[in-house]
Amino acid sequence: MNLFVAAFGFGLVSMSVIAIAAVGFTMQFGITNMINLAYGEVMISAAYLAYYMNKAGISIWIGMVAGALFGAVFSFLLNRVIYAPFMRKGTANLGMVIVSLAVSLMISNLLLPIVGYYSVSYQEDAGRLIRLGSIVLTRDQIIVIGIAVVLMLGIHALLTYTRLGKAMRATAANPTLARNCGIPTQRVIDSVWLITGALCGLAGVVAALNADSFAIANGSAFLITILAAAVLGGAGQPYGAMIGAVLIGLITELSAAAWSPEYKEVVAFGILVLVMVLRPQGLLAKRGALAAAG
Amino acid sequence: MNTFYAANLLIYAGIDIIACLALNLQFGVSGIVNFSFIVFQAVGAYAAAVLSLPPDTANGGFQHYVGGLQLSFPFPWIGGAIAGGLLAIPVGFVVLRKLRSDYQAIALLVLSVIANTVITNADKFLGGAAGLALVPPPFSDRIDPNSEGYQYFYVGITAVAVVIAFALVNRVVNSPYGRSLRAMREREDAAAAIGKDPVRLKMTIFIVGGVIAGLSGAILVGFIQIWAPSVWLYPETIILFAAIIVGGRGNNIGAILGALLVPVGFEEVTRLLNNNPNIANLGPPNLISALQWVAIGLLILGFLWFRPQGVRPEPRRVFEGGPD
Repeated sequence: MNLFVAAFGFGLVSMSVIAIAAVGFTMQFGITNMINLAYGEVMISAAYLAYYMNKAGISIWIGMVAGALFGAVFSFLLNRVIYAPFMRKGTANLGMVIVSLAVSLMISNLLLPIVGYYSVSYQEDAGRLIRLGSIVLTRDQIIVIGIAVVLMLGIHALLTYTRLGKAMRATAANPTLARNCGIPTQRVIDSVWLITGALCGLAGVVAALNADSFAIANGSAFLITILAAAVLGGAGQPYGAMIGAVLIGLITELSAAAWSPEYKEVVAFGILVLVMVLRPQGLLAKRGALAAAG
Repeated sequence: MNTFYAANLLIYAGIDIIACLALNLQFGVSGIVNFSFIVFQAVGAYAAAVLSLPPDTANGGFQHYVGGLQLSFPFPWIGGAIAGGLLAIPVGFVVLRKLRSDYQAIALLVLSVIANTVITNADKFLGGAAGLALVPPPFSDRIDPNSEGYQYFYVGITAVAVVIAFALVNRVVNSPYGRSLRAMREREDAAAAIGKDPVRLKMTIFIVGGVIAGLSGAILVGFIQIWAPSVWLYPETIILFAAIIVGGRGNNIGAILGALLVPVGFEEVTRLLNNNPNIANLGPPNLISALQWVAIGLLILGFLWFRPQGVRPEPRRVFEGGPD
């Protein structure tokens, strides 16, 4: 039984990491209508940036901020240079999926000669152990949970109370109508890529810190877990992604304790299949996956 | 150019052509973005391998797998084709039913990654990460597979398979059924409104494509005699997509052209570059193969931007009996 309580503790950390990543991913999709399959590769690029800074003796927490900045700028440029021009050209949703997959392949293979195949890990003392009953977490893990909680509250505040957040929701609901109401949708979309890119970069560093070691191949594993959380919650729904992250984080860690950690992504995939069969629109969304093909 | 090299090139070309014809039927003609295409080729290869291999206690029992029926040609090839078709049924049932088309694409992509993970970790099932080795080539009990004559023979049976695959897809594409497929690709709602059932059309094409993909895998494994998870990672599917996009979506001749230009062409260029020590030793290891993937990505983006219809565009079909 204690094993499962301990796994619950790891589940808390896992869900925090997944939540940061999945909220960014789902907001990109919900507001800009872009399934960005390069998301996992941007995460891993940010993780490597923090790794090289860490190797030069800079604290991982500063590396995390740098990763977030890098993710923001990189995602912004990705949209401005590649995605937005293709979308303006009238490329269909399906074409955009192929474009983003090609971009993902290019990023990982441009990175590969630089970083190599081998796994690396951060030089970071995870801090003293903190016990809450059978749950034992390191100081760093507690900080990761804290960061996630603060970010989720921040996203909630952004979407609910600020002009920018309301403009984002309007753009997500109906871009044409939003533009006709005087909302500068172009600038809104730019800020979406900056904000979600920052979440993506930060999530990359946090995920790499949480895993003992990481390698270039982890990008696709990240992506699967994120997709599962986002689809489970209802693609394009930030609150759905949060719920999805909580469920996926818990279920994967519990299954790792009960079965085998090698199959974490397989379990995430199993959940994804179940959702697609039983409730393709996800837990929260009213339409999402069921809308007409683009 | 020696016989073995020429045969190798021709057989790979034939296998890539068969695969591209199948993917063109799914993606080019019917608009199904099958990002797990390589899984269907892989399942055909595994099925052909375990059908032709002896039971896994043979060869000192160094590898573990299910089956081992030691069937002779053509049963492994037929088995590979059937396996590809059978896999398409459950996958199609989950993915193709009512999901949005871009969701279908990502679900298939995720399936491709996960299937590879599962087979890699399940080491008793199909050899795990090490895969299967010493797969007996067709007729190896009667002709020595290392002889020159065998190379020509294998080119011959591959060519027969290419012709059969081409005849089959051409027939589908040019039939009234092909017209329904194109109607569905262009506007699914409109096709449904005139009584075409898109789910049924997609399921059928998914299975037919799976059968052809499985056959291509069976031919490949009979020739290279090994099969492992590292040869069917998901980027392999992207190469085939690049071939279709370059060749011309929806055009069978274009698919053949794309197969010759992209998978075969890139393989040859990388091999030539790696054979030249001055180039092969430049930069960090794996630089050339990494740059090959970058080039594939650029090729896809470049064609989608500048010439989305490909080198050989799909012919515009006009109803001849109509008013001028």
